Amino acid sequence: MTSQEHPFAALLADYVAECLPLAEDVLERAIALERTWAGGEEGADLYQPLKGLLHTIKGNSAMMGLAPAQELAHSLEDLTGLLVEAPARRSDGIDLLVQGTGLLVDQVRGAELGEVANPSEYIESLRAYLERSADLPSEATTVERRTEDRRATGDGGGHAIVRVDAQRLDALLETFGEAMIAQAGLRDAVKAMTHGRRRTKEEAALDRAALTLDRTLERLERALMETRLLPIATVFGRFTRLVRDLARDEGKRVRLEVAGGDTRLDKTLIDRLGEPLVHLITNAIIHGIEPTADRIALGKPEEAVITLCAVQRGDRVILTVGDDGRGLDPERILLKARALGVAAASETPSLEEVYAMAFLPGLSTADRVSSLSGRGVGLDVVAGSIRALGGHVTVGSEPGRGTLFTLRLPLTVAVLRSLLVEVDNERYAVPLADVAETVRINGAVVRQVAGQGMMTWRDEVIPVLDGGRVLGGEAGSGPRRYCVILRASTRHRGLLVDTLLGHQDVVVKALDPALGRPATVAATTILGDGRVACILDTGRIAEGLIEIGAR
Amino acid sequence: MPTNHVLAFADRMQAAASAAPTAPVERDLHLVVFELGAEEYAVPIAMVREVVRVADITRVPNAPPHIRGVMNLRGRILPVVEIRTRLGLEANELTPNSRVVVADVRNRTLGCLVDRVVQVMRLAESQVVPPPDEVRSSAGDAITGVGRRGDRLLMLLELERTLHGEA
Repeated sequence: MTSQEHPFAALLADYVAECLPLAEDVLERAIALERTWAGGEEGADLYQPLKGLLHTIKGNSAMMGLAPAQELAHSLEDLTGLLVEAPARRSDGIDLLVQGTGLLVDQVRGAELGEVANPSEYIESLRAYLERSADLPSEATTVERRTEDRRATGDGGGHAIVRVDAQRLDALLETFGEAMIAQAGLRDAVKAMTHGRRRTKEEAALDRAALTLDRTLERLERALMETRLLPIATVFGRFTRLVRDLARDEGKRVRLEVAGGDTRLDKTLIDRLGEPLVHLITNAIIHGIEPTADRIALGKPEEAVITLCAVQRGDRVILTVGDDGRGLDPERILLKARALGVAAASETPSLEEVYAMAFLPGLSTADRVSSLSGRGVGLDVVAGSIRALGGHVTVGSEPGRGTLFTLRLPLTVAVLRSLLVEVDNERYAVPLADVAETVRINGAVVRQVAGQGMMTWRDEVIPVLDGGRVLGGEAGSGPRRYCVILRASTRHRGLLVDTLLGHQDVVVKALDPALGRPATVAATTILGDGRVACILDTGRIAEGLIEIGAR
Repeated sequence: MPTNHVLAFADRMQAAASAAPTAPVERDLHLVVFELGAEEYAVPIAMVREVVRVADITRVPNAPPHIRGVMNLRGRILPVVEIRTRLGLEANELTPNSRVVVADVRNRTLGCLVDRVVQVMRLAESQVVPPPDEVRSSAGDAITGVGRRGDRLLMLLELERTLHGEA
């Protein structure tokens, strides 16, 4: 295959253009280090950028599916870490480093031509060397830690890399969660103690100490989360191969374009994001993108493009998966929704609402071509797994032009900002990201229209559901004084509750399998007083409202 | 060497134990006995991690009907099973005697709500008879045998089966 015919020719050229200077820089630094270390000097300014450079090369190689280069860069990262931390190893290790970085330059330079020897022999001997030098934990995550305190590391300061077993990180997070719960308990106790009267001097001091602890824990949380963040390129990396292989199977020409691979997400999310993304990309190639002949007939470029982008916005990460295929057919979705009884024949929902219906069970448009391939997964499954990660997914489309899925994800899954509410003497946590507003109501505001509660909120008529009824209790048995306005993908929806108990960061604990899959509960948490509370699955509650509203 | 001494002793004990089966086997069941309504039930102590007082149990909306809720067991969230309803009895109000028997069932740790924990006892296996038909029909196949404690009958409960057939 000549480079002109290679589906990734353009991307490969970009890869070489970006990575070759980096690899050459690495080689130069390795050679300079050999001299510096032989002279007994530290050379921190030489080795500090090494890990970053190697990491970038590793990530880019992974994205291009260049496994040997990726593996080589990875091993060299480990070697650099070892040599930086253990000066005693430098005299015999530096030779390996120079040799390896030379091979890396060859790998990167040869990528475009596709003709370069696999450095597996070198990698093996390097691995053996590393194992002799340090007992590496089998399942370890590399954590980068900037040593801010330069005094501690002598002249250069540095950028030391510590390998930490991933399970230890999880255990640390668990313990931190317990500290958060204890702290919430302390805060509640202080509040209850001084309730309704002036505080004594001692009580004020206690209050201040609790507040300080609060802030310290907040900082600790951020630091802890930081150690768990990994670049999303580690998931993106595997799609290059997937797109190429699947497109070939389908007889289509598809190019994958990736942006924002250095956006960082919690390790747990990274681990669990792969599957839904594979579904979306598979669906795009099989169902979204037209056969090549059709594309030519339509005057579209023969080669289709799938885009995968990540960007951080505040404490959320926005991921998009787009294709330039045929787009979704809103008519078809609506017809099917009506056939399934989830949309009334009389209703004419907005385009946005129709697209939201595509995520309901049994509604994905995949059936349109399932006779061709029988592959692909319903969008309800994708939406479910994104929700399980505390995120949500929407889709937009332009017929004939393409489809764009937007996934909004939290940076971390462990701690959830939430609003605590009370319904019929039980407390529930509502994810704050889904709360648009809370409104104090009196009974007259909510009107019953054909058995469905409706109210006007900001000039919008929104469906309202009784918290007790949704949560398996009695409708209207408690004094429903507040309405929590939930931000659903199409329009807002209200949930009536008895009391608002304020904002709280809760530590998410997964549902025990014995509890089945309750429709309205996403997870559980332990509150400050030690009681368990359920975290509501606001996404699914909103979906339930769509169904109830349609009947 | 003390270690060798201990090992030798262990070997002798093991030899003695493995010689024993020539005599008719009389195995003891080691049981935790508890009350559900008017009846006494028992489960093998090997399955039971601990017995705890009932903390606040939080109801989980839309959970399967035999789940009473979840409770906090030292930072761990424990599902609490209402075995009464699995045995065809009415669910009960909690009393000061109510206890949660924390048990390992199918590699999962579950809490089972019981009315009162009576005692821990040994019962010779030969004292256990198959359950009569009327017991079997009311409790499904969860009762694997009936034993005797003094003048009272003891229903041997297979916890795994009380959860069987859950959605």
